[in-house]
Amino acid sequence: MRPLPILLSRGAVLALLVASTALPSNHREAPITALDHKADITDVYAFVSYAPGQAPNTPPSKATLILAVDPLLEPGNGPTFFPFDPAILYEIKVDHDRDARPDVVFQFRFTTEYQLPGVFTALAGVGPSGAFEPGTSNLVVPPRITSFDNPGLNLRQTYTVHVDRSGGPDLDLENSDGSPFFAVPANAGPRTIDYEALYAAGTYALPGGISVFAGTTDDAFWIDLGAAFDTANFRTLASGVPGVLTASEDASTTNLASDTVSGYAVNTIAIEVPIEMLTRTGVIEPATSPDATIGVWASTSRQRVTVRRSPLPEKNKGPWRQVQRMGNPLINELVIGIGSKDRFSMDQPENDEQFADFFLNPPIVGIVEALYGGALAVPAAPRTDLLPLVTYAEPIAAPGTEPGPIADLLRLNTGVPATPLAMASRLGLIGGDPAGYPNGRRIYDDVTDITLRVAVGGVLAAPFPGFNPDINGRLGDGVNVDDQPYHDSFPYVGSCPSGRNRRHIDPGEPGGGPVN
Amino acid sequence: MNALPIALLSLLLPVIPAVQGRPAAKNRTPAELAVARARKGIEGFPGRPEPWNQLALALARRARETAKPSFYDEAKAALAKSFDLAPRNFEGRKVQVWVSLGQHEFARALAGAKVLNRRAPDDVLVYGLVADAAAELGKYDEAEEAVQWMLDLRPGNVPGLTRAAYLREIFGDLDGALDLMVQAFEQISPSEAEDRAWVLTQVGHLHRSRGDLENAEKALEGALGLFPEYHYALAEVARVREAQGRAGDALAFRRRHYEAAPHPENLFELAVALDRAGEEEEAATAFGRFEREAREEMETADNANRELIAFYVDHARSKDFGEEEGLRIARREASLRRDIHTLDALAWALHANGEPAEAKRQIEAALAVGTRDAGILEHARAIGADIQARSASYSPAR
Repeated sequence: MRPLPILLSRGAVLALLVASTALPSNHREAPITALDHKADITDVYAFVSYAPGQAPNTPPSKATLILAVDPLLEPGNGPTFFPFDPAILYEIKVDHDRDARPDVVFQFRFTTEYQLPGVFTALAGVGPSGAFEPGTSNLVVPPRITSFDNPGLNLRQTYTVHVDRSGGPDLDLENSDGSPFFAVPANAGPRTIDYEALYAAGTYALPGGISVFAGTTDDAFWIDLGAAFDTANFRTLASGVPGVLTASEDASTTNLASDTVSGYAVNTIAIEVPIEMLTRTGVIEPATSPDATIGVWASTSRQRVTVRRSPLPEKNKGPWRQVQRMGNPLINELVIGIGSKDRFSMDQPENDEQFADFFLNPPIVGIVEALYGGALAVPAAPRTDLLPLVTYAEPIAAPGTEPGPIADLLRLNTGVPATPLAMASRLGLIGGDPAGYPNGRRIYDDVTDITLRVAVGGVLAAPFPGFNPDINGRLGDGVNVDDQPYHDSFPYVGSCPSGRNRRHIDPGEPGGGPVN
Repeated sequence: MNALPIALLSLLLPVIPAVQGRPAAKNRTPAELAVARARKGIEGFPGRPEPWNQLALALARRARETAKPSFYDEAKAALAKSFDLAPRNFEGRKVQVWVSLGQHEFARALAGAKVLNRRAPDDVLVYGLVADAAAELGKYDEAEEAVQWMLDLRPGNVPGLTRAAYLREIFGDLDGALDLMVQAFEQISPSEAEDRAWVLTQVGHLHRSRGDLENAEKALEGALGLFPEYHYALAEVARVREAQGRAGDALAFRRRHYEAAPHPENLFELAVALDRAGEEEEAATAFGRFEREAREEMETADNANRELIAFYVDHARSKDFGEEEGLRIARREASLRRDIHTLDALAWALHANGEPAEAKRQIEAALAVGTRDAGILEHARAIGADIQARSASYSPAR
């Protein structure tokens, strides 16, 4: 009397066929992530912190790590707007000993509360005193939201920050007065909320030189997304070659094509810490030290049904299962094959050897090469020139640094001083700015153009047969800057566009480039 | 686990027909409909591999519905057509692994599934193929990892839930297994009668394993209502009847089961039931025919070797062979796969052949997986008692 196995004896086969052999998948990023908007990581940033008016070569002191999730939030999209998901574990992870495993982990968890459960919207407010039922003293609309205590901040979120450090005690970050961290809500519009006041109040400076922030902000990323995903159909500008900029266009500080992300918001989690907290040695290492370079990535995780049940009460649910992770920008979108995107999202960087073929022979390169019909030469595979993006290697890491395993981590040499804003290049390292992507990633680094030039143009492999600096070195989508101003100190990200007055800049509009 | 889920299930089920027959939907099963659809597709698009893949898949489903392995041969022929048209087509390769599993070519299936998994790590059902093959080979860690990927990649997907339930059962968590099977059942379309009947049969089996014969019976009645004369359900009802001490009724269901799926392993179970019901003469004939038929296919992948081992070890009805033949076959099986039931069969054969220490080692390997299978536990107790008795009778010199 043995149990019915999945495969019974004769003629028996799998447990269940269930309709078809293939589950459908669609594509925005990783298919599974596209279905889980709240857990969808849009961008990860890591850079040596900078301050307004900072002098060149100011010694590094702190690093800022930013995780942005929940893409393309339309700021006016009430009534609930965009709370963080309390069921998601948001994490920013740091590898400091070059094994692609986390050594310092910052964990963020959110809790939601309703201050006015009967009111229909998450954010409501008007004037300094609110609005009353005519002829009575009955308050109908609460006063404009100017602080986290205002009842008009109906759906209010607090969060905790836990720091897990290998080889050191864990930390639970707290305000010195014990008050909770509030998440900054969306900017519903000028009648409802003084968003800037909440942005400032929600930027917490903690003991030990640590700062934290979480909230709905401008999406710091910019790109002609429509052109990129219309099979790399970049716009034709003055060069006459689609997706190739002239020198003056390359230097432009205004946009020559549509920033598809303009006017949209994103949910941002940011933390600034002393660099000593991130390095293996616990001190600020000089740029020439192998220990100066760290690997950064972020992940979102949910509890899932597990084969082995966890203890009560969530008896079917087990430990956190990763939904998505991100290190370098655009890896999942443009490099990983469609049949591997979910596995990539849910696997650990230390297992990235399985994706080495994608990293060192990105399919996008062949596609763009074919689209240019011989006008663009690309380096031959395997693309060892891309190793600095996926190992600890020069020019990011110090000479002689042990490369470690192939893994999608954002590599940041914490010993390289931040470049003063006025001198910084949107093209980062390949623009002669040593503190920019792919040495870490600042919010104003033009990772689209950098990635096009590095991955497709092969500028790190130059010279090679057919290399043309005016083509390979000038690839770009024509979107050079974000539509919103950034803040010049922590948490750096721009303010959430006003829901009432936001503007999406479309092709054909001023600042949106041509429709061609 | 309380009885609520199955009580809810019963509300969803049709009234159980008392007579044998075929499912509704114009008397055509889901697999038959799928076969017809695929053949129509082949007529319309003879140069495309897809309808051939669909035909192969439908035939493999038909094999499960009917327990007729000849459908796998037909499926293979359809796949050959598909590969003529597109040699590496992914969907065809998946069905090919599926057919290998159905034909019990587990090692080949596992290797094939792993190749597919490397080609498209996001294909959830390929993890299912890996898991099925690995579990049958006793590679439970590998199976668990694959099933966890299924659950992670597509939370709540039915193939993932049923496989997780199966592994939970293997790991000794019957309540947890039942939980997931019920979750799976609730998601299956009512038109998928055989799939639903399959899950209900598993639910019935799990209830019986937990000692809840009442709910087991309800679930199995539901399965037979959805898919009359469903061979898996008939066998499980027979086990329930045996547990109830109703040997005559058990025999009746064993007869129906064998009629629906006339294979040597089922003939063995029928012979055992005949024996228990006191039908000694008919039992002897059945055992004899079983031995002959089972030995004819003992070198093939799809065989009745476990039953043959039990026959030689427990029943001693063979004119030609004894326990030592059971052990010989058990060793051969264990060289091919290390699942808990093969380990149990080997341990029991070793025990019967006077090799208690080795028997203990093998049964402990099965128990280490966590199984609470009543048969395995019973064997473990007997092997332990044997060892204890032998050590008690042995007086070491001081």
